[in-house]
Amino acid sequence: MADEKKALYDAMVAYKVPAIQQAVENARKSGMTASKIIDALGEGMTEVGILFERGKLFLPHVLSAAQGMKSAMEVLGPELLASGDVSAKRASVVMGTVEGDVHDIGKSICSTMLQCAGFDVHDLGRDVPKTSFISEIKGGCTMCGMSALMTTTMTVQKEVIEILKSEGLRDKVIVMVGGAPVTQAYADKIGADIYGESASETTNKAKTISS
Amino acid sequence: MAEFYTRMGDGSRVLMTREKILNDIQAGMADAVDMGGLPDLTPNDIEKLFEIISDKNRVVGVEPGNEVVLTYDIGQLDFTGDNGNSGNGVDVGRMESALLHERALGADTFELAHADYSIKPVKPVISNEMQTMEEIQNEIVAPYFYGAMPNAGLYYSPDGPYGNPADLMREFKIDEAMQAAEMTADHLARDIEYVATRLIAAGSDGFNFDTTASAGDADAVGTFKGVRALRKACPDTYINVGMAGESIMGIHGSIEFDGEIVAGTYPHQQVKFAQKAGANVFGPVVNTNTSKSLAWNLGRAVTFIKECVKVAEIPCHVNMGMGVGGIPMCETAPIDAVTRCNKAMVEIAKVDGV
Repeated sequence: MADEKKALYDAMVAYKVPAIQQAVENARKSGMTASKIIDALGEGMTEVGILFERGKLFLPHVLSAAQGMKSAMEVLGPELLASGDVSAKRASVVMGTVEGDVHDIGKSICSTMLQCAGFDVHDLGRDVPKTSFISEIKGGCTMCGMSALMTTTMTVQKEVIEILKSEGLRDKVIVMVGGAPVTQAYADKIGADIYGESASETTNKAKTISS
Repeated sequence: MAEFYTRMGDGSRVLMTREKILNDIQAGMADAVDMGGLPDLTPNDIEKLFEIISDKNRVVGVEPGNEVVLTYDIGQLDFTGDNGNSGNGVDVGRMESALLHERALGADTFELAHADYSIKPVKPVISNEMQTMEEIQNEIVAPYFYGAMPNAGLYYSPDGPYGNPADLMREFKIDEAMQAAEMTADHLARDIEYVATRLIAAGSDGFNFDTTASAGDADAVGTFKGVRALRKACPDTYINVGMAGESIMGIHGSIEFDGEIVAGTYPHQQVKFAQKAGANVFGPVVNTNTSKSLAWNLGRAVTFIKECVKVAEIPCHVNMGMGVGGIPMCETAPIDAVTRCNKAMVEIAKVDGV
């Protein structure tokens, strides 16, 4: 089983969709459970994220790996449900770059990493109105990730948290913040639950807090 | 134990001991060494960095004889822009701004810039820009350029004709995203040649490409191709290529300039592309990490820039401003940090200009 696990990990790090599909098929034939296959793929995806942050892999490579993960989930999802082992299912997360800010890439990587880690991600894109975050939370998202890449837009993260408080929703949602000007100290100051310096750090913290 | 007043990367004040400052300088250096495959700073460099950071004076400067060229970018926008646009919110005309920079602020070079500071929006107003260039050239003595960001982002949807790679990749249309990036690079190169040749014909002493690769590797390739075309069209003009960050983002991932992939390259590699394209001056950039200290950021930035200057065959004028070159990222960069970072870049990294 260790060989299959390594093959799944290696296939993800090599980010080619057909090879990922083949590794999944081989693992299934060897009797590996759907949840264990997903875990191995998830570890590979974490490494892809680290290699991206180190400038060794680039955006198309990350997305290709994510496409491989999505393709695997199409096969493994029904098996997972049938087996009753739904441990790989995590929270619904609304993600977006805040109003007034069009920097999209870092947030998109973070969304991809969260998706590959089993979260149900609702990525609203860039320049997202404050009310759109609130609507998604009212619609069932229990986590909210906000990115800001400018000193002039990071304040919007605070404004969304204030709206959550005024609408009595703050205790029902885990708020994550990130982006170049944002720090742990700022996250603490505005009352966010998670500060992520990178996509992989955010994903790890989200996994920990939601487990 | 003595503590020294210094800064974090977000500009906040912090007191640090000698040991902590030295540890952070070495950790920042180690990060650059690891990311860029660079040599360590020497023990003398590290000690000098500590001396600069721990200097008791609020403002520091280079020793006499070490002065370098000061090139200012962004045109009048550093007066007229608001805080979100690197400006002070002071309404000043373009002529007045040029003369103030030359005669009051000590700028060795300056530039004319469009309000949007990007190549593409200059096209429809090129005649106005040419006329203004000619008028200011009649008054100013210092070398006066035109400056703009290549800003390939304006060529992608919803602002331009090509699909947005970020949106396409989210739908796993990876090949389409790469094609959009390639078409954008070629379009940007054509626009650079169109805009720059006309402004140089109107009397500009040169062209400053600011924040190259802000939209990733296709932005860089488009700029280098545009610079090559401009050099061919205007053999004697002055061309400055300044970058957006220490590493070129791989939005395409494998797009090449002169047979080499540009994604993931660092300043000491980027300068070679600029040289090949025909630039006279290269403006390397190292971004600031807001969660780390000034010591960490400056140790890292100096390590990158020192190697860039060492391998460069053209002068390097390092980008020093809010959020780059070790300087904190906050709306008004603290002068203590600004002057320390500049002194370190000149006296340790040996840059030719700022």
